[in-house]
Amino acid sequence: MSAIPVQQVGRTLYIHILRHNPCDPLSEAHLQTFELEEADAMTLFIALNEIRENHDPSLQFDFVCRAGICGSCGMIINGRPGLACRTLTKDLPDNITLAPLPAFELIGDLSVNTGKWMRGMSEQLETWVHSQGLENADIDSLEQTMEPELAEQLYELERCIECGCCIAACGTALMREDFIGAVGLNQITRFQLDPRDQRSDAQFYQLVGDDSGVFGCMTLLGCEDMCPKQLPLATQIAFLRRRMAMV
Amino acid sequence: MQIIYTDVLVIGGGLAGQRAAIGAKRRGQEVIVLSLVPAKRSHSSAAQGGMQASLGNCLGGSGDNEDIHFTDTVRGSDWGADQDVVRMFTHTAPKAIRELAAWGVPWNRVQRGDRQITVNGEKQTITEKDEAHGLITSRNFGGTQKWRACYVADGTGHAMLYTMSNQAIAANIPVHERMEAIALIHQDGRCCGAIVRNLMTGELLAYVAKATCIATGGFGRIYRVSTNAIINEGMGAAIALETGIATLGNMEAIQFHPTGIFPAGILVTEGCRGDGGLLLDGSQHRFMPDYEPEKAELASRDVVSRRMEEHITAGHAAQSRFGEHLWLDIRLLGAQHINTKLREVKEICQYFLGVDPAHDLIPVRPAQHYSMGGVRTNHRGESPQLRGLFSAGESACWDMHGFNRLGGNSVAETVVAGMIVGESMADFCDSADGALNISTSLVEHFGKQQQQQLGIIADPAGNESAFALMKQMQETMTANVGIFRDEPRLQEAVTTLQDLQRRSRNIRLRSSAAGANPELVAAYRVQRMLKLAQCVAYGALQRNESRGAHFRADYPQRNDLDWMRRTLASWPDAEADLPTLNYEDLDIMRMEIPPGWRGYGARDYIDHPDTARRQQQIDTLLGELGPADRYQQQEAVMPFKQLLPEHLRGTNQRLGDEE
Amino acid sequence: MSKQLNLWPARMDLLESLTGLLLVLFIWGHMFFESSILLGKDAMLWVTRMFEGAHIFDKPYPLLVSGAVAAIFVLIAVHAILALRKFPGSYRQYHSFHRHMGAMRHADTTLWYVQVITGFAMFFLASSHLYVVFVQPDNIGPYASSDRVWTGRFWILYVLLLISVHLHAGIGMYRLAMKWWPFKAASAALARKRLKLAMWCVIAFFLCLGSASLVTYMKIGYEHADRAGERYVPATESNHPVSN
Repeated sequence: MSAIPVQQVGRTLYIHILRHNPCDPLSEAHLQTFELEEADAMTLFIALNEIRENHDPSLQFDFVCRAGICGSCGMIINGRPGLACRTLTKDLPDNITLAPLPAFELIGDLSVNTGKWMRGMSEQLETWVHSQGLENADIDSLEQTMEPELAEQLYELERCIECGCCIAACGTALMREDFIGAVGLNQITRFQLDPRDQRSDAQFYQLVGDDSGVFGCMTLLGCEDMCPKQLPLATQIAFLRRRMAMV
Repeated sequence: MQIIYTDVLVIGGGLAGQRAAIGAKRRGQEVIVLSLVPAKRSHSSAAQGGMQASLGNCLGGSGDNEDIHFTDTVRGSDWGADQDVVRMFTHTAPKAIRELAAWGVPWNRVQRGDRQITVNGEKQTITEKDEAHGLITSRNFGGTQKWRACYVADGTGHAMLYTMSNQAIAANIPVHERMEAIALIHQDGRCCGAIVRNLMTGELLAYVAKATCIATGGFGRIYRVSTNAIINEGMGAAIALETGIATLGNMEAIQFHPTGIFPAGILVTEGCRGDGGLLLDGSQHRFMPDYEPEKAELASRDVVSRRMEEHITAGHAAQSRFGEHLWLDIRLLGAQHINTKLREVKEICQYFLGVDPAHDLIPVRPAQHYSMGGVRTNHRGESPQLRGLFSAGESACWDMHGFNRLGGNSVAETVVAGMIVGESMADFCDSADGALNISTSLVEHFGKQQQQQLGIIADPAGNESAFALMKQMQETMTANVGIFRDEPRLQEAVTTLQDLQRRSRNIRLRSSAAGANPELVAAYRVQRMLKLAQCVAYGALQRNESRGAHFRADYPQRNDLDWMRRTLASWPDAEADLPTLNYEDLDIMRMEIPPGWRGYGARDYIDHPDTARRQQQIDTLLGELGPADRYQQQEAVMPFKQLLPEHLRGTNQRLGDEE
Repeated sequence: MSKQLNLWPARMDLLESLTGLLLVLFIWGHMFFESSILLGKDAMLWVTRMFEGAHIFDKPYPLLVSGAVAAIFVLIAVHAILALRKFPGSYRQYHSFHRHMGAMRHADTTLWYVQVITGFAMFFLASSHLYVVFVQPDNIGPYASSDRVWTGRFWILYVLLLISVHLHAGIGMYRLAMKWWPFKAASAALARKRLKLAMWCVIAFFLCLGSASLVTYMKIGYEHADRAGERYVPATESNHPVSN
């Protein structure tokens, strides 16, 4: 890999994309290279759309918010998972290799089915507030109070956008398909911290107390280092491990 | 073709769609949600700053109630809103927020004691009440008299959407992801479901449902510069339009948000200004107080956006290599505040602009942000023309926003409308009207029609590029149907769009890739988006007045005399190149607040004779009532509670209420 | 909730960490004791005697060493069995991990792989070492050990073992800290950076210490090669019959 250059407007980018369309029985995975003139403040979002519009209209990729908020555009950018929409080409070398996130079902080219995986994770871990009588909650009266600091802590953990980068960055998840990864473990700590969730530690243990859960984590810390939202994943997983080991 | 049967089909997996789905499911209906993307990636997640609900817990919000929220919203709408609906909304919003609080949203809370705030560029210390400690707090937003926007840092929509989605998962509601409804199935004025394209395989299938709800959000992508997500292409509104029966209301009412970062158009929240941020021009002068002495940066969005463009035109812009813009200054809020309450803004600035807002100015310029218009519904959320078709959220013209929406009222609307429309759909399904007699041949017919249309697009005879047409449409809309409108430009837009629409029949695909085929997707969407764009442009051309976000430089006054009416666009002839416009009167004699000055913006408008008559009538009504509390007074002027589902009629409790 | 919890995953995870911790503490202690040779043959002999219980019982009992070896072996076996569960279990797993590691170039992921390799190597290296000490517990001492190292050609084994064990132990301690990390998120990044630095320092220190003492044993063994098998007799107790 060549060194990262200083910004030069107008340099030519060589974007190598791992292509494969599972809907086409004749399609085989291969790298395809596109040449592109770099523009000012170009992001991979802009670059990929330009490729689709001017070079190959069949290129598949996912963008929704294009602002780093929704988590749709996770992909492997020069070997590392990241959000394409907010990756500026000026921070990348001339040669850019893009591949779909591993560990998720491939839809086509750079598009993977993170939604299905995340829904499965949510169902498995029951990532919602478990509380009696939610359906008939009294919504006319004053709400339950909560310490302001606790509310802020909960939001810190809830900032996860389920982009899948932590799964793609996790050697454990790549080896073991049933591992729920940092995204799942972090969400459990979020609900464990939430006083509105009435589940006990023993109940959480049933969800994550095995090798597909917190005890499967080998502390490779790819999740912590690749999380686009810089969530404190290592701290949270360690917290959960201590908590679950004491059940 | 595979046919899937359900009671309720919700098209769109954002806040409105999922809340409506949960409501219907709780009433025992079978519900399926269709979503273009995984539900948690819906554009609702991009709402940053807050959700309006008159809880009145924090000091800046104390004394707030439904009445003030109602007044603010009606004024914000420039009297274009349906006041019954606004009442239903402001009454239900506190319930919505409390429900979400119980479901798990980590709303920011009131911290008792002293804290520093920034007002008019200066630091002040305020003291929050002991008894409010731990209740949901709120921040200041534009166009409101009270601090009413309840928030979760600046990730309010994200937190709400995740909680909502998780509750939908808990309720075992299936979300069919990457599914796009491309046509509504209907017969004799009755909607019976949708033809749906699988965006992974390209396969068509049919969903047959007693009640169908469009909750697909806005259509900002008909503009080049928009804060909207890529998926906000208005397909829900478009397929309703293509029935030729359902109508779209007030499509010309398009909101431009003052602070899209320049040039990408990514949103930074109104909360920046609500928390004390300022707008500066090229010479770093704070210009808003010169135009709007009362509200300055916190006038409603239409007014602030207009003033910004006016200031740029007057030659006061800052220059960058991308063009002219203004500055948003939040440096004065301090790093601590930005790192906790505005952290998504900080991230956006860091990644897309390479600046730290605690130390640098943020380049901003107004960008298309919201569609007040959409599928016209009655107060129950049902299309008045097409039975069984419902709509909720931004895709609907339920019409609580009229011609300008207040910041924080949209996420609030999604949830409130979801709560109400979910009930309406369940009622409908349970009623005699809900029964559905539909032959599979009808379903097949609609399916074949779509298959055929897709086939025509794929036919290699054409010579037009879908991507190029899309670009031209977006350029036209941004250039000619923007903040300042006039007849020549609108006329040009209408003509250009007609031309583009004609050309869109000759799209040629370069790719025949198996599966979703993104080029095919762009092709069939641009055909429909052009129709929506035409509804906007043509509606704007016909409306010879200025109201809310619709500003005609050639008709700068609000004209209540001729234009107290809502535009209804339909497209009965599929081959036509213009929509059919009809108008629905807004009856001043039924209004709780007859038209007047908004409290900001221009003060000149042409009065309607009913305004004075209604005001007199109200005064008489209140006089006859004698001593009464605010609920009784409101009831006397414009009773609305009978319109709400029974369980939503209760009085909202507030701190300091006398028991 | 009446359903019985399966606590084994928690116990096994704890046990893996705990055995690892004990083994690291042991090996670090071991390094200081064996490097007593740097202070001279008498010092090393004194340490050897200590472990044979000579300072308590008046007479050395080498069997005590065998006992300790057996205990260490059990710890290693338990640790290895528990850790083995985490190794790639199939070629497919190995392949995807390897490709991932190569592409991502992420230090902590690569370090884990180093632990897998060194752990695997130690199956053989540590076992051989332990076996020899177990069956010949009396064969430790300034000359006895040096002869084994040089004349017995054990230095090759010890070089490899030294590197393996310290990489594995140093990285293991770092990972152990990260795994059970009891600190706040706010300070985690800085603490982790310091911890990583400490890890490299500790590894470097023990590699230096180990190399120095190994070279010393080799030197003594080389000079003593023609009299290999002869035991060292300290000057102060040259008339004492017991020596190694």
